[in-house]
Amino acid sequence: MTSSTSDVSTSAFAELKQSRRTFLKATAMGSGGLMMSIALPGCATLKNGGISQVGDNEQWDSNAWLRIDSDNSIHFVLDRVEMGQGTYTGMTSLLCEELEVDPETVNVSFAGVDSVYRNTIYGIQITGGSTSVASSWQIVREAGAATRIMLIKAAANTWNINTSDCMAENGAVINKAAGHESHGQKITFGQLAVIAATYSVPSDIPLKDKADFKIIGKYNKRLDALKKATGTADYGIDTELPGMKYAVFTRAPRWDSQIKRFDASQIENMPGIEQVFAVNKSSTIGVAIVAKSYWQARKAQQALSVEWHESELTQVDDASIFAQYKKDLAADSGENVRSEGDIESALENAEQTISAEYEMPFLAHASLEPQNCTAWAKPEGLEIWAPTQSPDMAQVAAAKVTDYSLSDIKINTTFIGGSFGRRINQDFVAEAAAISEISQQPIKLIWSREEDTQRDWYRPSSYHKLSASLNKSGEITGWNHQMAGSGVFDYFVGDAAPAQYPFMPKFMFGMLESAGKLGEGIIAPADGSIFEGANGIPYDFANINVDYKKSDSGILVGNWRSVGYSHNGFIVETFMEQLAQLPAMKAKKDSYQFRYDLLKQHPRAQAVLKMAADKAHWGTPLPGCTQGISIHKSFGTWVAEVADVMVEDNKINVKRIVCAVDCGQVVNPDTVVAQMEGGIIFALTAALYGKITIKDGIPQQTNFHDYQLLRINEAPQIDVHIIASNEKPTGVGEPGVPPLASAVANAITAKTGQYFYSLPLTLG
Amino acid sequence: MAKFILNGQPVTADVESDTPLLWVIRDDLDMTGTKFGCGIGTCGACTVHVGGRATRSCITPVSSVEGAEITTIEGLSDNGDHPLQVSWQKLQVPQCGYCQSGQIMQAAALLKDIPNPSDKDIDAVMGGNLCRCMTYVRIRSAIHEAANATLESNDEQTA
Repeated sequence: MTSSTSDVSTSAFAELKQSRRTFLKATAMGSGGLMMSIALPGCATLKNGGISQVGDNEQWDSNAWLRIDSDNSIHFVLDRVEMGQGTYTGMTSLLCEELEVDPETVNVSFAGVDSVYRNTIYGIQITGGSTSVASSWQIVREAGAATRIMLIKAAANTWNINTSDCMAENGAVINKAAGHESHGQKITFGQLAVIAATYSVPSDIPLKDKADFKIIGKYNKRLDALKKATGTADYGIDTELPGMKYAVFTRAPRWDSQIKRFDASQIENMPGIEQVFAVNKSSTIGVAIVAKSYWQARKAQQALSVEWHESELTQVDDASIFAQYKKDLAADSGENVRSEGDIESALENAEQTISAEYEMPFLAHASLEPQNCTAWAKPEGLEIWAPTQSPDMAQVAAAKVTDYSLSDIKINTTFIGGSFGRRINQDFVAEAAAISEISQQPIKLIWSREEDTQRDWYRPSSYHKLSASLNKSGEITGWNHQMAGSGVFDYFVGDAAPAQYPFMPKFMFGMLESAGKLGEGIIAPADGSIFEGANGIPYDFANINVDYKKSDSGILVGNWRSVGYSHNGFIVETFMEQLAQLPAMKAKKDSYQFRYDLLKQHPRAQAVLKMAADKAHWGTPLPGCTQGISIHKSFGTWVAEVADVMVEDNKINVKRIVCAVDCGQVVNPDTVVAQMEGGIIFALTAALYGKITIKDGIPQQTNFHDYQLLRINEAPQIDVHIIASNEKPTGVGEPGVPPLASAVANAITAKTGQYFYSLPLTLG
Repeated sequence: MAKFILNGQPVTADVESDTPLLWVIRDDLDMTGTKFGCGIGTCGACTVHVGGRATRSCITPVSSVEGAEITTIEGLSDNGDHPLQVSWQKLQVPQCGYCQSGQIMQAAALLKDIPNPSDKDIDAVMGGNLCRCMTYVRIRSAIHEAANATLESNDEQTA
């Protein structure tokens, strides 16, 4: 397995990351246990970071990763959140492989905020970008291996034998010394922990060879399945505190409006209503109702009247947004993000030029657990329980709207009921924090589905112009892709930049946000999310040009499962299909061979494409169907998909998707399959239904009746095939998404000849 | 004062009569396995059994279930070993898991009515339960698996 179902642009933070060498530290506990923690040199003076402070203290230090108690229980702190993508199982598997314990015997808990838990790829504590296994592949295994080595040494010293005569297995060390009086006996890790804790961590930590793996690549259980099949997994929305009240929050229909006035007279005397007040702090603006029960608060909200100041978005709709994108791109092609050869001369000298324009819609995340957060503001500090993808950004968001400093804010994370990138933006945390501080009591804030749909940070809409040039022999000589749209980085840098520098005082947060924005392209690379997958086009063309013009729509945008790849996978692969269908091209080779021959530089891509085609019996569609093929690389992982689609009575009926994936070394094969299955139907939902429309600056969809998700009766058969690989593991949470819509569209094109330049797919 | 039987136990809750059953179960009776998803009965995350029938608790006023027998995921089996809960684990159905209480409760009602459902039966009965992680392929397999396991164990008992 690998990683995450939601995402953040890979390039935006790559350069911002702090270079870090991580050191393990072992500590003895008074109770006779062993604790392994992570020490960051150079950060040791930081409160809450750095070297473990625990001596005899039994209290588990905040940055501990692994603890073995004398009762043989093993505790592992998961520093990536579990939102369905399987980190809970995958990360635990990595640890257990080296430690030599059964993953099912480990107690897993979620990490709070600490710099040691930062994602090494982004430099903040974030779960996204399909990076969890890729970024932890080395260090978690090293933690397990170092601990095992120390436990073996403790056993060897106990028996007075060589460490080479000891073997760790199933949470114990076995005496293998021939002729020794204790030969064949074992001592449990719990019994050895107290001795092992007195040793220093070995400097040389050899890791297992692949041939010796017992769990990685083989383990096929999901450790959280029992909890989730019995209703006992605790999500953010399940948080209960003594004396807790329930809050709802009325926001402006357009996110940029300020409150003019509100009238609570109709609701103050309604049953259960305790407080009604305005919040106007940073970008957290609205009217809060605090009540004894959720239903009382929600009912009262219907009778609350709020007047809002004018918004700059009042005149904004989809037509005006796309007109702006086109105008901005026409005036200035923006930043060149890929340039090979000479595209201008290729287009000038072309025998034939093919061009197309694409318009991609806004999309909502629609995670099934609506946004929610529980906060308890006390004199000594603020404690928060949040289903968030980024605990340190949540801490910043809470600090911005309260009088608490970062070090006084404790974030607890929970199981997450789906996220897909939504919970990288921390607005729901800020709201709960502000409401609890004003209310002076613990509150649980729950959004309605309507609020969740209308106040989302959408996948940005975008406009794309493509041209391809062909020479006299009908060969493609040039590829030009220009696009315009908002950048998602602008919409979370306000929380992300301060999260990177937790030692900076709060009054500098604004400066850090500005520096983060202004620094794009200077101290940090420009936000590459919108063109990822476009600038990486893998095909062997002599002249390639890709440009991005940033054009901000004013609508809130964010990271949506597979981010820029989500639209570029569709655009690149449907435009490729249009080229494949040119009569001269089609006469020579089919859509599969056309792509295959142009992927000579990428043998892994060719292997993936071939496997998908072979397994789908490319060329022999299911009865009544036509086939479409597509391939896209995202988050380091190649995925090819073949769709068998039936078009009947003007309806699209997707019968089967065959998927081939190369994500390097697989940790949990079943998780890879599950993530491909989920990603495929997630993408099919967007391909068939996904669209948020904007009218008068207001998102028009509200709930599942008008923002439809695919249902079980529409789910196709899915066959997933994994390429065996020794390469480093790469992401799986997102890469199943990008090729899907184009595979389906291309199958329809094969039947009807219609090309698709927008989504969702509309026949006719 | 609302009164009903929850997972075999008589319970009371001091709530207004129009309060949806969902919030009474979750917030007043502290059974949080049943989830809130849409509030309008379109997603099925809140599915419980009322008198054995699968019911969307988010649109069911508590006054309408006065005295009724209500079963939630917590009461579906004594040890988390209902055939569906076993097959759900065996086939690793859950991803985020948030919808799965509702899926299992809906599927349990299905198996009660149709012990050996066809794919068409599953489509018809499970079509009201959304899963955003899109685990539908496995939900289908796990229902078949649970049906087969139950039929086999019945055969053994009668043999």
